[in-house]
Amino acid sequence: MTAEATPSLVEATDGPAQAGPSVRGPRARTTTAYLRYVAGKLGGAAVSLLAVLVTSFFLFRLIPGDPVKYMTGGRQVSAGQLAHYREEFGLDLPLWQQFTDYCGKALTGDLGTSYQFRAPVIDKISEALPNTLLLTGTAFVLYTALGIFLGTRSAWRAGGTSDRLNTGLALTLYSIPSFWLGLLLIIVFSVGMGPIPGLFPTGGMESGGKEGFAYVLDVAHHLILPVVTLVAVEYGQTLLVTRSALLDEMGSDYLTTARAKGLRDDLVRRRHAVPNALLPTVTLIFINLGRTVAGVILVETVFSWPGLGGLFYQALSVPDLPLVQGLFFVFASAVIVMNTLADLIYPLLDPRVGR
Amino acid sequence: MNRHDQPNRGRLRLRLLAAAGAAALTLTAGLATPLNPAPQQAQAKGSQQATESKKEGKKVLTVAVAQSVDSLSPFLASRLLSTSIHRLMYEYLTNYDPADNHTVPGLATKWEPSADKLTWTYTIRSNSKWSDGQQATAQDAAWTFNKMMTDQGAATANGSFVTNFRKVTAPSPTQLVIELKKPQATMGALDVPIVPQHIWEKVKDFSKFNNDQSFPIVGNGPFVLTAYKADSYVRLKPNKTFWRGAPKFDELVFKYFKDQDAAVAALRKGEVSFVAGSPALTPAQAASLKGEPNIKVNDAPGRRFYALATNPGAQAKDGKHFGDGAESLLNQKVRQALFMAIDRKTLIDKVFQGHAVEGAGYIPPRFSTYHWKPSASQELAYDPAKAAQLLDAAGYKKNADGKRVEKNGKPIDYRILCHATDPNDKAVGQYVKEWFGKLGIGVTLNCLDNVTDPWLAGKYDLAFDGWSVNPDPDFVLSIHTCGALPATPKDTGATDNFICDKKYDELYDQQLAEYDTAKRADLVKQMESRLYDTGYMNVMAYPNAVEAYRTDQIKSIETMPKAAGNIYGQDGYWSWWSAVPADASGASSDGSSSTGVIIGIVAGVVALVGVGAFFAMRRRATAEDRE
Amino acid sequence: MTTTESDGPMTTEATPQVATVGPRTLAWQRRRHSAVRFWRQYRTHRAGVFGLAALSLFALIALTAPLTVGSDVQSVTGAPGGPMESPSARFPLGTDQFGRNLLGLVVWGARVSLLVGLLAAVLSVAIGALIGITAGHFRGWYATVIMRITDWFLVMPTLVLAIALMTVMSRSIGTIILAIGVTTWPTTARLVRAQTLAVESRPYIERAKALGGGHWHIMSRHVLPNVMPLVLAQTTLIISSAILAEATLAFLGLGDPTVVSWGGLLQDAREAGAVSAGKWWYLVPPGVAIAVVALAFTLCGRAVESVLNPKLGVTR
Repeated sequence: MTAEATPSLVEATDGPAQAGPSVRGPRARTTTAYLRYVAGKLGGAAVSLLAVLVTSFFLFRLIPGDPVKYMTGGRQVSAGQLAHYREEFGLDLPLWQQFTDYCGKALTGDLGTSYQFRAPVIDKISEALPNTLLLTGTAFVLYTALGIFLGTRSAWRAGGTSDRLNTGLALTLYSIPSFWLGLLLIIVFSVGMGPIPGLFPTGGMESGGKEGFAYVLDVAHHLILPVVTLVAVEYGQTLLVTRSALLDEMGSDYLTTARAKGLRDDLVRRRHAVPNALLPTVTLIFINLGRTVAGVILVETVFSWPGLGGLFYQALSVPDLPLVQGLFFVFASAVIVMNTLADLIYPLLDPRVGR
Repeated sequence: MNRHDQPNRGRLRLRLLAAAGAAALTLTAGLATPLNPAPQQAQAKGSQQATESKKEGKKVLTVAVAQSVDSLSPFLASRLLSTSIHRLMYEYLTNYDPADNHTVPGLATKWEPSADKLTWTYTIRSNSKWSDGQQATAQDAAWTFNKMMTDQGAATANGSFVTNFRKVTAPSPTQLVIELKKPQATMGALDVPIVPQHIWEKVKDFSKFNNDQSFPIVGNGPFVLTAYKADSYVRLKPNKTFWRGAPKFDELVFKYFKDQDAAVAALRKGEVSFVAGSPALTPAQAASLKGEPNIKVNDAPGRRFYALATNPGAQAKDGKHFGDGAESLLNQKVRQALFMAIDRKTLIDKVFQGHAVEGAGYIPPRFSTYHWKPSASQELAYDPAKAAQLLDAAGYKKNADGKRVEKNGKPIDYRILCHATDPNDKAVGQYVKEWFGKLGIGVTLNCLDNVTDPWLAGKYDLAFDGWSVNPDPDFVLSIHTCGALPATPKDTGATDNFICDKKYDELYDQQLAEYDTAKRADLVKQMESRLYDTGYMNVMAYPNAVEAYRTDQIKSIETMPKAAGNIYGQDGYWSWWSAVPADASGASSDGSSSTGVIIGIVAGVVALVGVGAFFAMRRRATAEDRE
Repeated sequence: MTTTESDGPMTTEATPQVATVGPRTLAWQRRRHSAVRFWRQYRTHRAGVFGLAALSLFALIALTAPLTVGSDVQSVTGAPGGPMESPSARFPLGTDQFGRNLLGLVVWGARVSLLVGLLAAVLSVAIGALIGITAGHFRGWYATVIMRITDWFLVMPTLVLAIALMTVMSRSIGTIILAIGVTTWPTTARLVRAQTLAVESRPYIERAKALGGGHWHIMSRHVLPNVMPLVLAQTTLIISSAILAEATLAFLGLGDPTVVSWGGLLQDAREAGAVSAGKWWYLVPPGVAIAVVALAFTLCGRAVESVLNPKLGVTR
């Protein structure tokens, strides 16, 4: 039941739960059926990506603001110059033509030119993406490990003091706004408070001017507070899902049978319950990874992390349409790619298949 | 176009792969990913030189900035940070004296108009070299101006400077001749970076070239840009052969902080030497820094004015009116009543907490030559009772609900455009809302990230407005002339606020053709007086430039103006060029002391993960065994 | 919670008004009984009771705010203190940048934060329920199309979409509610659809159809009452995330600056430089308030959920 603790958890368990039945059959029969399933899922993902591409174009045309006027705002510009810009960015064309141009270029990997940076969107994104991946990747590894570890422990000792403490803490941290936690961490550990000296840098990703190992250490030093923030607000979800999945599994018939056969309790748990219970967790893990990329906007803002989130915010205020579209596409496709991966891996992991 | 597509496609595929591979990202493997190939190369070159000088105890001046660079190309850049950096990289024809803002030689040593005022001759100095060893000549300047006059892409940032140019030539390496269409008094204030022709003539498309491909970037200013990473930093090295003398720090770094609080904390810890506010440190930040040892807060009269602008009924040059500004604001008496309803003193005390000067005329007192103040009889001082009388007299009386009504019977409710990113707009807006409310006038604060669109469409009643004023006030004056209006409602003009006033325009034309400074200043003051009387621009404050630096890293630094001036965003390179490093004790921006802490923490994390993995594996193993 | 099963035959389309008093009272009685039963079970969930108590307290504070602190607490021109005073006897939580009483502002902010959370969740769940029920009921191409759209929305990064919507529209409380509401409904829609399919597969629906029950009748009289528990639990859970979302959007500067809300207070504090100045008392109370209320709603939602439908959420 606890899987429903938070709305996003519901989505997490919902997708593959639907995929489940459709998978079990084919997999049981032949590998070709599985391949057909894979092809179907990949096809679906491709359609979704295309839909995202289309929507991002039209959605962001609704944003008020003439980009050409922004670019020239406050400066004296001749009519010729205005026309030049419109032509340069293809804004003089009718909407449908802009759209076809956009689609055609997008298919070749060209997401247009940023209005404010006058650089290819794909370049701006590739500059920021590794930074975001570093932050989310590190946090992701840590909170997933922590969540599964504590969730398993909680379920083993369900109802006990440590379980209640763990679940309570997870729920509390999950209710805390991440940006607020980040600000408090900065006040306490970066600015320094009372006897605590400012241990960590206040923001950014590097001090600059460092090389080799010193550089790696420097980045790690900058990484700690934002990662702690992300881990604190995210691990609870994994914990709760692992815990509830494990509890559900422990109540099921085959485990009772196993126990009746005389197998020892903890052996039953480890050999049967945990692997099965990890299924919804695996799904959640993938979906979370996709979502973290977009959800990191706040933490990046608070810690001045030079990633996609900050770029998105910068782009929206202009509005720098090509950049906004490109980023939106990246955020959405991260979720799509991860969902698809979850869909593909799920049947391979499901131990009930073939039973 | 097609040629560009190939690498892009490859890159996209690469990125998608990277995204897919993210699941496998581990802590250690992850650490290596933030390095981008291109900036890394750039950085490698820069830091090679850095390591050389590190042995002698390198003095680094690190400036925390709140803006990111929009472009390193002087033809495209418009942000303050970028143009400030261009000041450091390239020498302009002229510069402004740090003491009193009068024009002083830059790349040009002398400049004179012809008798008919239409031809200006500049003598170019012969002791300025590009950082690649070539001589900087008049030909470079002529080429730069000609490029801006002929290539729309190159006119993006500074095109307005050349609109009145007829012809630019370089008859000799030391002589630059500019012929004008009309007399222009601002020829000593051409704030255009002069670029080396031999480098820039290779550029194909000026509208796309960002000047960030090869480092160090060839220039002739006091500093040479050696490395740049988007949204992270800009690094510059002193130009040892700079004609005015080399800067004293070994390196100048502009470090980007998205969050001003983070920048302040970094200053407190000595990670940065200087914090430039965006646009100023908040009163709370300034107050908390004042008590700190080794930190100096520089609270200097600013160069900006902060105003509440009125929509005068937006119109285009073709006479067509557009937008939806309130009818009542067309009445001068109403506008003046609104002046009297705002308590500028309270705003200075409460919102700016003393870090601003009470507003009056259009040009801030810092520019003493052009600053103007209304006389006691002309002044529209805070007087709500009189404001109410004026409104009553103008026919905007209160209805039964205590609300004043427009001539069409609808209650007055002014929409104030405010910048969502400016805390001052929101704070002042709340005061204005309450003051106007007491007069019976409703106010809706319309705070947007991007105010440009409703603004240019004339869809507002009042708007928060502010400009940085240059030593030569021509630009900020020009934006209120009829000539700056858009040609048709669909076009964009340079106009700030759609003001079009005949008397003001006449004065403007006179001052532009007046080459005598004193006479010109008098005309400018008359313009300010006229603008004040119209009630279109209520200048509420001149916010101070509140900034701070570490005295244990910077021993001395020049402000502009010399007496009580600002440091960041000067008209010229004076501050960074003049900065003297503090004695050996300071400049701890390397943060070697924290390395131990990092090692400890990383070791701790690794150990924790290791222990966790060990236990997990052991449990599994035992389970396996037991079976 | 299948009390409505007996409602079927008695309220056929032809005679909804002339239904005799007897069965109707019976139904009401049954509902009252189940409510009592519900409460008895709910009481056993200690965390749920704690959440409910916290919520009642905050609701009381918000409702009585006009009497206790009054709307004058928002006034900047009539602010009683100096800027950012530390906590004192006069101002237990200190003052904000304008010298306003922070305790009063946090109390007043509860009104906006709770209202936005509540309305946004109601909007979100209403959209979700409507789409879920219709998609479950009508099947065919309608369901296919609508579920495709739902799936698509599910993929959209919620925060990114909400930020984009906020940018498109003017800044007001209504916009925040709308932005949260229209970006968070897909979860509910999928859950409700699954439930609808389950309900409609029951035999009594067949009977109702045979007796001439139309689409509207089936959806409103049979499906809706059966998905209500789910909808209720879902609402409680979504309020929690809606309150967080409101704070997030206000913090990103997308809220109405003249309205006092918890997220807005945090944004004010940050913009005024309270973080680097070490003025923690400006930051802590609004954040704690957000966390406590969000936690309380989550606890309530979990308790309601496990009481109403113990099997809910088990991987189907």
